[in-house]
Amino acid sequence: MLEHFHVPEEDKVFVKEEDLRQTTSDVFAAMGMPREDADLAADGLVTADIRGCETHGVSNMLRNYVQMFRDGRINPTPNWKITNETSAVATIDADKSHGLVMCPKAMDIAVEKAKKVGIGAVTIHNSQHAGMMAYHAMRAMPHDMIGYAITGGGAVMVPTFGAEPRVGAVPHAWAVPADKMPPFVLDISSSSVAANKLGLLRRTGAPVLPGLVADEHGTPIMDEREVPEQTRLLPWGSTRELGSHKGYGMAVIGQVFSGILSAGLFGVTNPPGNGAQFVAAFSIDAFRDVQEFKSSMDEFLTYLVDTPPAPGHDRVYYAGLPEHEETEKRRAEGIPLHREVVEWYDSISSELDLEPLVR
Amino acid sequence: MLQHFHVPEEDAVRVMPDALRKTVNELFLKLGFSEQDAWQATDVLLLSDTRGVDTHGVSNMMRRYIDMVAKGFINPRPNWKITRETPTTANVDCDQGLGIAVIPRVMELAIEKAKETGIGMITLGNGRHAGMIAYHAMMALPHDMIGYSITAGGQSMPPTFGAEPRLAPNPHAWAVPADKEPPFVLDISSSSVAANKIQLLRRMNAPTIPGMMATADGTPIMDEREVPEETIVLPNGATRELGSHKGYGLSAVAQILGGILSDGAFGPYEGGHMSHVVAAYSIEAFTDVDRFKKSMDDFLKYLRETPPAPGHDRVYYAGLPEHEESIDRHERGIPLHEEVVDWFDQATAEFGLPKLER
Repeated sequence: MLEHFHVPEEDKVFVKEEDLRQTTSDVFAAMGMPREDADLAADGLVTADIRGCETHGVSNMLRNYVQMFRDGRINPTPNWKITNETSAVATIDADKSHGLVMCPKAMDIAVEKAKKVGIGAVTIHNSQHAGMMAYHAMRAMPHDMIGYAITGGGAVMVPTFGAEPRVGAVPHAWAVPADKMPPFVLDISSSSVAANKLGLLRRTGAPVLPGLVADEHGTPIMDEREVPEQTRLLPWGSTRELGSHKGYGMAVIGQVFSGILSAGLFGVTNPPGNGAQFVAAFSIDAFRDVQEFKSSMDEFLTYLVDTPPAPGHDRVYYAGLPEHEETEKRRAEGIPLHREVVEWYDSISSELDLEPLVR
Repeated sequence: MLQHFHVPEEDAVRVMPDALRKTVNELFLKLGFSEQDAWQATDVLLLSDTRGVDTHGVSNMMRRYIDMVAKGFINPRPNWKITRETPTTANVDCDQGLGIAVIPRVMELAIEKAKETGIGMITLGNGRHAGMIAYHAMMALPHDMIGYSITAGGQSMPPTFGAEPRLAPNPHAWAVPADKEPPFVLDISSSSVAANKIQLLRRMNAPTIPGMMATADGTPIMDEREVPEETIVLPNGATRELGSHKGYGLSAVAQILGGILSDGAFGPYEGGHMSHVVAAYSIEAFTDVDRFKKSMDDFLKYLRETPPAPGHDRVYYAGLPEHEESIDRHERGIPLHEEVVDWFDQATAEFGLPKLER
């Protein structure tokens, strides 16, 4: 995540990973989840925070989830079931499971299939928000597999040339293990910017950058100006000339593998909060010797980070490297939460009669 | 493809697909390809040209393939073989076979695996140019499957923040069948523009488009200026703020699934070394096929019926413009540039073949 979007120094409260995990799991358990599921959902959220992906960590998400449990939109004790199955694939009706519980369980099914036949893929519908997609993809790595995860849903982004939002900013995530190098973990939305970053620009009074968003008619804003009151999310690439059809296309294919393949859901029938996901595991051993593959990954990733940097930059990264470094830093220093988030924890734990968050 | 890059009508010589097919097939036979491989390679080139994907059709590619066979980079009689196999996967050594001849045959194998298990995915190492990769993905369509293909290799694009090209604009392609709507076919490179389009801007004395390319030291050009002598293509997204790490990341995924997973290939390509992936997902394994196709119709219709933004008269989805172009070109012929037709006449004369009919 860009530095720009991190918590300002003066508002930071440092919290230890295990303490955040404990209180977060307690909140999920208080919502009626079995402890095992509560721990799993907490692990997904805290992994986002420890990697520096705050947008998908406890700060924004946990209070939304609490509301969704209270509204009956998330089922804490779902009776999810497999409706179609072959040796390599499955389709799951999630019975309004929390996506942070359903997706890891679906990935475990995919991994088991991949162990037997080389690949496993599972499409899911009737689930809910699934957190940071990288988390689910990464679950394949300890098995020497490549993980892939998609979450579909929503109509927040205009198609290329369109004036009305009709697709979600559907993210795709891949996780690939290496040997000594930190794993390659790519988790990318198909829009040019996340909607909540516009709120942030508005709050800080910063102008929009050319290509970041469209005006309310769907026309890409290609100059610097004050953030208009009404904006539309653009597909990644911003304009057709610069490749917005690529972001639009990635959103559509992501929707196909999750919503359409599982239950024919898209647009209004697949609103945020009625989630559809797709997870897959590819066994490396089914293609190539695992050790040779991992050594090749090390060489490739080293080659990329060794690229001489362009003027004004001091390093070249690959996807997953900054997050790996942030993880080490946050494990040592704690996770910097915004004061306001810690206060929210205090109020919810007192409301639910839980132990307060330790800091 | 943007209108901008099409052959100007006054330079266009219309050639009917069957006539072009005949001459291209004969040329491949002269290069030493087997009957089957010549037919297959021709079919891939023809599909590019009928769909309006001229960059990957006969105009740019035919002479390059002839040159690569002459240099010994392409093996016209490859003995490609499976080096590892499971019920859903395989790894293939292409023996330097041309991708447009070898990949479709391997895709057939992936489709067979998907019929048995639900999914088939095959990596291909030691390969050569894959042509328009949408072709390989589209092979899944008649089997009621979703097709996927990748090709990777070479280096012409810097990583985000990098000053040196270390990756290629590796493309990913997906093809998804619908019922009455033309299929969704997405074939996207991971760079913001193809290198040969920068060349075109230079020829036309047109200025740079902000975000389209970088200066030789990797700095994105974010204003309109004369196209510098030395440029590098940028990952799609152009700058980190606009998501260039996404184009960089998709390129790396392609290199990993293609190159690293097949035989560890990455970096500079010697002799045109490319790696590929093909995959097929059987719809029936996940859900009812008719239900799926009707959902696709509804979804694609919903997308193309989006009210257009000011200045635009229509909203498309990937594969729709190509489908329409294909209908037009089957009727009116493929518009080849005069220069290309001249090249064909020269090549057929050289190989002692009948002239390209037009």
